[in-house]
Amino acid sequence: MDRMHFGQHSSSQFNEALESIRNHLMEMGGLVEKQVVDALEALLHADSALAEKVLTTEDRVDDLEIQIDEECARVLALRQPAASDLRLIIAVSKAVSDLERIGDESAKIAAMALQLAEDGESPRGYVEVRHIGNHVRNMLRDALDAFARFDADKAVEVAAEDTEVDLEYRSAMRALVTFMMEDPRAISRVLNIIWSLRALERIGDHARNIGEQVIFLVKGTDVRHISIDEMEKEVRKKD
Amino acid sequence: MDTARELDNRNRADDDAAKPLIDVEERSMQDTPYPEKTVGKPFVDAPKMKLRHVNVFYADNQAIHDVSLDIGKNEVISLIGPSGCGKSTFLRSLNRMNDTIDICRVKGELHLDDQDLYDPKLDVVELRARVGMVFQKPNPFPKSIYDNVAYGPRLHGLADKKYDLDEIVENSLRKAGLWTEVKDRLHSPGTGLSGGQQQRLCIARTIAVSPEVVLMDEPCSALDPIATAKIEELIDELSESYTIAIVTHSMQQAARVSHRTAYFHLGRLIEVNDTETVFTKPEHELTEAYITGRFG
Amino acid sequence: MSETTAKVRKSLARRYRQEKRFQAYGILSIGVGLLALLILFTDIIGKGHSAFFEHYIQLEISLDPDVLGVDDASDDEQLNYANFGGVIKEALRERFPGVDDRQQQRQLYALVSSGASYNLRDELKADPSLLGGTRELWLLADDDVDLYLKTPERKRPDARLDDQQKQWIEDLEAAGETDKRFNASFFSHGDSREPELAGIGSAIVGSFFTMIVTLCLSFPIGVAAAIYLEEFAPRNKFTDFIEVNINNLAAVPSIIFGLLGLAIFINLFGLPRSVPLLGGLVLTLMTLPTIIITSRAAIKTVPPSVREGALALGASKMQVVLHHVLPLALPGMLTGSIIGMAQALGETAPLLLIGMVAFIVDIPGGPTDPATVLPVQIYLWADSPEQSFVAMTSAAIMVLLAFLITMNTLAVVLRKRLERRW
Repeated sequence: MDRMHFGQHSSSQFNEALESIRNHLMEMGGLVEKQVVDALEALLHADSALAEKVLTTEDRVDDLEIQIDEECARVLALRQPAASDLRLIIAVSKAVSDLERIGDESAKIAAMALQLAEDGESPRGYVEVRHIGNHVRNMLRDALDAFARFDADKAVEVAAEDTEVDLEYRSAMRALVTFMMEDPRAISRVLNIIWSLRALERIGDHARNIGEQVIFLVKGTDVRHISIDEMEKEVRKKD
Repeated sequence: MDTARELDNRNRADDDAAKPLIDVEERSMQDTPYPEKTVGKPFVDAPKMKLRHVNVFYADNQAIHDVSLDIGKNEVISLIGPSGCGKSTFLRSLNRMNDTIDICRVKGELHLDDQDLYDPKLDVVELRARVGMVFQKPNPFPKSIYDNVAYGPRLHGLADKKYDLDEIVENSLRKAGLWTEVKDRLHSPGTGLSGGQQQRLCIARTIAVSPEVVLMDEPCSALDPIATAKIEELIDELSESYTIAIVTHSMQQAARVSHRTAYFHLGRLIEVNDTETVFTKPEHELTEAYITGRFG
Repeated sequence: MSETTAKVRKSLARRYRQEKRFQAYGILSIGVGLLALLILFTDIIGKGHSAFFEHYIQLEISLDPDVLGVDDASDDEQLNYANFGGVIKEALRERFPGVDDRQQQRQLYALVSSGASYNLRDELKADPSLLGGTRELWLLADDDVDLYLKTPERKRPDARLDDQQKQWIEDLEAAGETDKRFNASFFSHGDSREPELAGIGSAIVGSFFTMIVTLCLSFPIGVAAAIYLEEFAPRNKFTDFIEVNINNLAAVPSIIFGLLGLAIFINLFGLPRSVPLLGGLVLTLMTLPTIIITSRAAIKTVPPSVREGALALGASKMQVVLHHVLPLALPGMLTGSIIGMAQALGETAPLLLIGMVAFIVDIPGGPTDPATVLPVQIYLWADSPEQSFVAMTSAAIMVLLAFLITMNTLAVVLRKRLERRW
């Protein structure tokens, strides 16, 4: 991790700009993480107030996305960053759009929660939601942690966890589809759960993307669209 | 709600974790050890210039420490590094311009194709006809534009007739992208041109003797951005017929014009890599620190 | 208004006062310099301008072949021994009849210069048909008469002329038989005991030959030395030693160079004394340090980038020097040399020691003929007792100053002209 020194630029303004970008990213990460947690809570406990809160947070997340993008553009234009600085800017601007999408997915879950609060609870699926939700929450937390500490190993773990989430999502889908065939009356409510699971799965994908950006940031290699084994190999390759 | 608390805790933990991170950042770059040997790809297949274990001394001070590097044919290689890192000294030892400094000694194996540059039997005049040089400050001779370009060919007897000389002058000026600007005033003084034109005149003067390698020592440092852009464009065109080694303080310039980039640090060659690699993910920490602007 | 501004304002007034005072000192010192120069010039010109003119006396002279002892005016041999003095004396006696006393006659004869007979001879030589006829001729007046006539009427001194002579002169003046003419002989004659015959011709020619010798030796030697020291010599203790010595030599009193010339050129090599060749050699020694130092300075101003550019194109060191350094440094070198030559032109002391202080009447025909130079001539005349030499001295100084100013102007013009290319 010792190659990541974002202080120490000869220009203190440059330092401050990068620091500010990181801080805003972390702030956005925190907000989005809270959105995911709140959305899950709202869904699991049919808490419509909490769901509303998730939807209102969305605006703040969007503002931060625009602000961070502007900051990145400014650094690119004024400082012509190179090497790790350049990778940081690229990684941040990609991570920001992933985070924003995670926020959107959370909003979708919150919307489902509101729907379910109106229509009544789904007869099945809450176990899967809790399980996958926990997984995804951990992934997101780890991905943001890896970003904060420039920890490529943790980023690999995130990616590995995504594969698990995908497996669990698929088995949950199979179970819920089977249930719907057995009890067609619950279809509309179960579908809400399915949409939520789908959103959680997408959040997992986005968390994985953030992890991949961390690896690009730290190691300088692009690990998108390759297997976990290869990714691990890339991360272990040097130093 | 315990997840929310957990999140708060994590945020606080994150704040704590950020502290040691900052301590790590404040470690001085100067403590970073040199690599035992140059990292990256210092050697190429079928090099134009083959330089091995080059050491340069000024009296008892060693300016260059054991530098080994290949310069490929028709390649633009840029030498970057902080001031006083020896990149200019290294460049000047490639056409023995250091000979003019009494206290300067160059050791090591320096070859241009199969010719040993420091072979005592080699005439330095012949060497400099093969390895030309362009300097930091445009230094046209206080003569006419024509005479500036014709000086080298006359010196080496490259043209027997006035007609041949005219042709060499025109071709060189064309290659340097200066012909259309000066064709009507070939006999007015070269010192009357603008800075950028003067530098292109110096490049025309250098390529008039058809060198194989052109060394450029910060050729744009005295020029405005437009003139710089023209020179950079020119370097790109020249790389089709010449091998070019360029010392530059502008990292953007190195990134724009060169195929490979060599990073010098306090007389040592730290890293040589494809320019793209150097500017996106340099292998060595010192290179990284330099190109991201962490030396001061 | 902030505190700083108040302080700055307070200090500003003091600063401006200081600046004004400093400027005033500068103007004052320049004023003093100009005043001194003005006094010097008025004094010299005031004293010297009269020496550019001399007076002639008109006499009716009969060129009697018997008195002259000449029967063929085309025979130079006869003319050289002819008694022109007798003819002139006869003419004077006829102009002022009734002067019988031998003493008085001698005073009468003294009105006309002893050089007048040469005038007469030249006239006759030019036109032999004059022999036997009578002509009104203008004859050069004696220096005392000249001086008397040049002085304004009220202040005419009585020195060296008695009342009788003054009376004669005034008679001649009243009759319009005196005339003031431009003194061409001042520039063409050599030195003479008689002020009205003396001129700076031989001194100018002597100076010319001396300068030629100095220039031919010191310029190439000086430039070559400067180029070697600046471009080729290794930097070591020995060259440092040479450099220190050259700088010291520039400050050595010039009379030491005279002694050196005496010891080496005359005693060791046995060169003849009093010749421009010797003077030139000694002055070469004296100007060499100046030329070397200014030439080195001129070479140093050639930007190293030009040298590097040429070297990088494959020029040899010699080619760099010949093609680039020398042409660029030449204006500076020439300026230095001209200033060095001007210095040498005004030099007296070393020449005194090698015998160029001799009394030279003939105009030298080459650098190996005995000669004197302008400043030495001035020195000699300044020492002479005759009052007319005072004016002559000042006139010679004016000529010398004119040469020096011309040379320095040339140096400035040359530099301006040649530097424009750069």
